[in-house]
Amino acid sequence: MNGAELHLLRSCSHWVLFALSVVFVPPLCLGIIRKTKARLQNRIGPPLFQPLFDILKLCRKGETLSSTMSGTFRISTVVVFATMLVLAWMTPWLCFKPWSPNADLFLIVYLFALARVFTLLGALDSGSAFGAFGASREVTLGLLVEPALLLGLVALGIFCGSSDLRLVFAYSPLQSTGVSGAPGIWLLVGVSILLSSLVELSRMPVDDPTTHLELTMVHEAMVLEASGRNLALIEFAHALRMSILFGLSAQCFVHAAAAVWRMSPLTQGILNIAGIGLIAISVGVLESLSVKLQWRKVPEFVAYVVSMSLLAALVAAGSGVTKL
Amino acid sequence: MMSPIDLCVLSAAVLACLMVGSLHLRLNLWMYGATTMFIALATAMTAQAHAEISLIYIALLIAALKSAGIPLFLVWTSEKLNVHRDVGAMIPPPLAMHLSIGLFALSFILTRGLPAPEMEATGWYGAAAGISLLFTGLVVMLTRRLAIGQILGFLVIENGIYVFALTQTLGMPLLVEMGVLLDMLVGVMVSGLLVFKIQKSFEHIDVAQLTSLKE
Repeated sequence: MNGAELHLLRSCSHWVLFALSVVFVPPLCLGIIRKTKARLQNRIGPPLFQPLFDILKLCRKGETLSSTMSGTFRISTVVVFATMLVLAWMTPWLCFKPWSPNADLFLIVYLFALARVFTLLGALDSGSAFGAFGASREVTLGLLVEPALLLGLVALGIFCGSSDLRLVFAYSPLQSTGVSGAPGIWLLVGVSILLSSLVELSRMPVDDPTTHLELTMVHEAMVLEASGRNLALIEFAHALRMSILFGLSAQCFVHAAAAVWRMSPLTQGILNIAGIGLIAISVGVLESLSVKLQWRKVPEFVAYVVSMSLLAALVAAGSGVTKL
Repeated sequence: MMSPIDLCVLSAAVLACLMVGSLHLRLNLWMYGATTMFIALATAMTAQAHAEISLIYIALLIAALKSAGIPLFLVWTSEKLNVHRDVGAMIPPPLAMHLSIGLFALSFILTRGLPAPEMEATGWYGAAAGISLLFTGLVVMLTRRLAIGQILGFLVIENGIYVFALTQTLGMPLLVEMGVLLDMLVGVMVSGLLVFKIQKSFEHIDVAQLTSLKE
């Protein structure tokens, strides 16, 4: 086998692995969180792949549409799902991600924002009052958490001298040189992304995803009117967004560890997947132990996320000064 | 390259900055305890690095008195007085936290301009952490209205002075250091009693309202 064939084989295997992870990691992520919560409540809980079965079941169901809906509702779901797929392809949330054209950090943050805008439009278009409630809350949360996420990623960008996340994470085993040293900044940014993902996905300290009270819902209120295949797409897009964000923060933690101990690309890949699982478990534990924050206290929680990003930016700026 | 001592004092400074973000008294006091524990750890490591046996005793004393004793006493005081949250003044706590992180950055710039003969790598980070703790203490004193919050700010400032002295001059002689610790303990006890007294006379411990005592 010559070099070109080997390269082709490697990129093919990356594509296959990547496709498998895109299909199976998001439902598994949700499944792990639900299983952890169930075990902590002394229940057996649903099987790990139950979210996937749920999505398949939803695909076979018929759907009901409100009479006030225009075409925006249908378009929004498709746009959100497509944006998430593009994001999954571009964002370096996995070590073994195949080649992609671009991964500029601003592009990624604002593609997330685009997906959010279309979820909002869908919620407003459904004509239900709860949808508008959820949409207004979602905008507030997005407004609060976007600077934190952006600042953390920009800190990484300054530190590595590039706004392209591909270069920042140097995910490919072929370019394993990457950015080493300063495990501190990786750790800070990892924590910052993890905490901001909790806000972004409206999970526990900010919002209870299993609540049955429409008045306090954030994400669930926006998808109340969706049913059948629409709901399946929305659920999968949400799970995909969760695994992308968890994966990014797991990548940060893996890089922090790789700066201290040398590890092979294979170990990094395994640690990456294991890290997503561990984060899901810890989110499950957190959701079982903590109580929902008062809505007015949410900015205080977000302030801590911003602080992590600020500290990371300080480390980045400091390392720039010492390099000179 | 950062040494473990630098890492400890910098963690203490960062933890103090994060402390500013919450108005919950008990959380604040325990975070102050953790900050002081990092400083005690740094003292112990300095003792090991320079083979100074007296610093070990100081580290043990700090861990026992400052990082456990004082928070315990103040938590007990706040439980007795039945106050759990500060009201906050001037700047809201999240912004105050970001301000103290900004001052943390400023302290690095200030340290560069210090007219020290020759700063070793260790001394440099230590000085920055010390100055940052001073600033953080100042921010705490500015943003708290309850007397316990004022005591807390004073304690953080004291920590800053101690860190600065430890990293620049290897600390004071054992006797002076023990005297300072004793004074601190007595100071906190007396101010605790004073807080009780204020509560008894005015039915609140809001220092902002004490200005009305002026004729």
